[in-house]
Amino acid sequence: MEKIIFYILSAVILSLSLMSVLSRKLLRSAVYLFGVLTAIAGFYFLIGYHFLGAVQLTVYAGGIVVLIIFSILLTHDIDHQMPTPDWSRVAVAGALCVAGAVMFVQLLQGSLFSRVEAPEQSDLNTVGNTLLNPGGGGYLLPFEVVSILLLAVMIGAIVIAKQRHSVDDSSPEKQAP
Amino acid sequence: MYDFTTLVQSIGNFLHGQFSPGVATALEWTLVILVYLALYAILGLVLVYVERRVCAFFQLRLGPNRVGWAGTAQTVADALKLLLKEPVTVNKADKLLYNLAPFIITLAALTVISLVPFAKGLQAFDINIGLLFIVAVSSLGVVGILLAGWSSNNKYALIGAMRSGAQIVSYELSVGLSLLTMVLLTGTLQLSTIIETQANGWWIFKGHVPAIIAFFLYLTASIAEINRGPFDLPEAESELTAGFHTEYSGLKFAFFFLAEFVNMFTVAAIATTVFLGGWMPFHLGDWAGFNAVMDFVPPILWFFLKVSAVIFLMMWFKWTFPRLRIDQLLKLEWKYLMPLNLMNLVFTAILVYLGWHG
Amino acid sequence: MIPGVSLIEILTVSTLMFFIGVYGFLTRKNLITILMSLELMLNGAAINFVAFNKYLYPGQPNGQLFALFLIAVAACEVALAIAIVINLYRKIKAVDVEQVNTLKH
Repeated sequence: MEKIIFYILSAVILSLSLMSVLSRKLLRSAVYLFGVLTAIAGFYFLIGYHFLGAVQLTVYAGGIVVLIIFSILLTHDIDHQMPTPDWSRVAVAGALCVAGAVMFVQLLQGSLFSRVEAPEQSDLNTVGNTLLNPGGGGYLLPFEVVSILLLAVMIGAIVIAKQRHSVDDSSPEKQAP
Repeated sequence: MYDFTTLVQSIGNFLHGQFSPGVATALEWTLVILVYLALYAILGLVLVYVERRVCAFFQLRLGPNRVGWAGTAQTVADALKLLLKEPVTVNKADKLLYNLAPFIITLAALTVISLVPFAKGLQAFDINIGLLFIVAVSSLGVVGILLAGWSSNNKYALIGAMRSGAQIVSYELSVGLSLLTMVLLTGTLQLSTIIETQANGWWIFKGHVPAIIAFFLYLTASIAEINRGPFDLPEAESELTAGFHTEYSGLKFAFFFLAEFVNMFTVAAIATTVFLGGWMPFHLGDWAGFNAVMDFVPPILWFFLKVSAVIFLMMWFKWTFPRLRIDQLLKLEWKYLMPLNLMNLVFTAILVYLGWHG
Repeated sequence: MIPGVSLIEILTVSTLMFFIGVYGFLTRKNLITILMSLELMLNGAAINFVAFNKYLYPGQPNGQLFALFLIAVAACEVALAIAIVINLYRKIKAVDVEQVNTLKH
């Protein structure tokens, strides 16, 4: 049963990400991305990492996609269609990606990952204790660094996106067509 | 006394006895899905009826209290009207997204009610991160709203969608933080365990001041999150005709409508589960006789009683308070609710650290 | 682990997803779509972390934590990028990378 669900999820992930990259309508592309991210959350749930799945749903599907959709709503109108990229660019990028994918998949086929049978430690308590453990093997320092990064990004985003009421006339806003 | 675990298990055993494991699991899933779909529709119908009645009593509207016996014909008329209406489609809309939006909203609403514990053992999906999962899934509905607003190709719909997006994204924080305060007290995210921690008293009684503050913060923020009055700016009919669902009619409009009512039920159910003891009966100290009488009432009845009380409170809010302006709305969240929530969280953390919680 | 599914299959899915993202990154000209392709690539990497954790080191949650940090950093990146996109739109009324050439003139 899990096997069938895994194959359905992979098919959804791959087809929707392909559609997201190829679609010419911007918002549809974002919606396909939403589908991909939700399917990945489903994959995390399938594999038993519930906490990670919920975080993926909250931050990616509920936060990042909403931000992207917001920016699309603010900067484009509904009739906007993206031009198809030129032929040469598609050919070069396509060849590059196909070559890379083939190479990596080939490498994977030859690799011998031996699966380790050990008692599962993936419940919420283990994750929490490891994340907030200041001792050896703990992730308290990265956790604090990420929280400072988040604060810095919050301030930075406000400063960048804030409407400036600049005094001098030579500001770029007024020169723009 | 009343335990649904055995009933659910015997149904499962019966299915597994009759069929092969794969078929039995598939049948179980189908059964659960059917039950929840039926529940979804029934909840929608009942809540529409209740909303009509309550609003009629509050505002002295005559119709909904008089059509049929106690106004029951009004719901039937509403449903028939929605089903028979011509499905108008917009010519210049983005058809795919236009049709997808109601389903995303319905899916989010339906997934959240699958976690609600109705009684002991009567819960479809008892995951160990229950509360976090609820917060996660309820944040997906906003995508549907944004899509509906954009794909209708209508400026009122777009403005409604933008307002709704801003509102939901900001009020999600308060909902999450107030639930986090309660998680500090309960020490678990799993909904069934949260209810078990309240066997000796509901959190709103034994959680001291922080629990009461968190309850009101949660109620305010989640009413705003599900776009109900007095925070129903996204569909403010006096300014935006109907907000993000202006261009929807007939059955597709009914999807939005149903999702709104079911979201209201979910909010009430989570408030009940976390603050009001879920299906736990009301007990008073050591009055053994009184407690025994209370135990006699089935837990599922307790659950629905508490939920209806919270829903009535929400309807009371809607039909009493005037609608907020968008700047007042955002000011309320960022300048009052958020700081209050954070202070409450720190206060509760100190309380728990000192070991003063029940 | 998922019964009946080998690690190689999961890694194949994530590899293909990563290269789909690379393709989008190379062919798109709109800044927002470039950002979306970037998200695809990041998610491919996250799936790898999680799969390795599940199959090779089931006793410790390190891969999960890496995926968590990855999600946090991706959120930061998107927030900043969207701020830049909106500011850019205000200045040049477009979000195509080819029109962002004011530094040249």
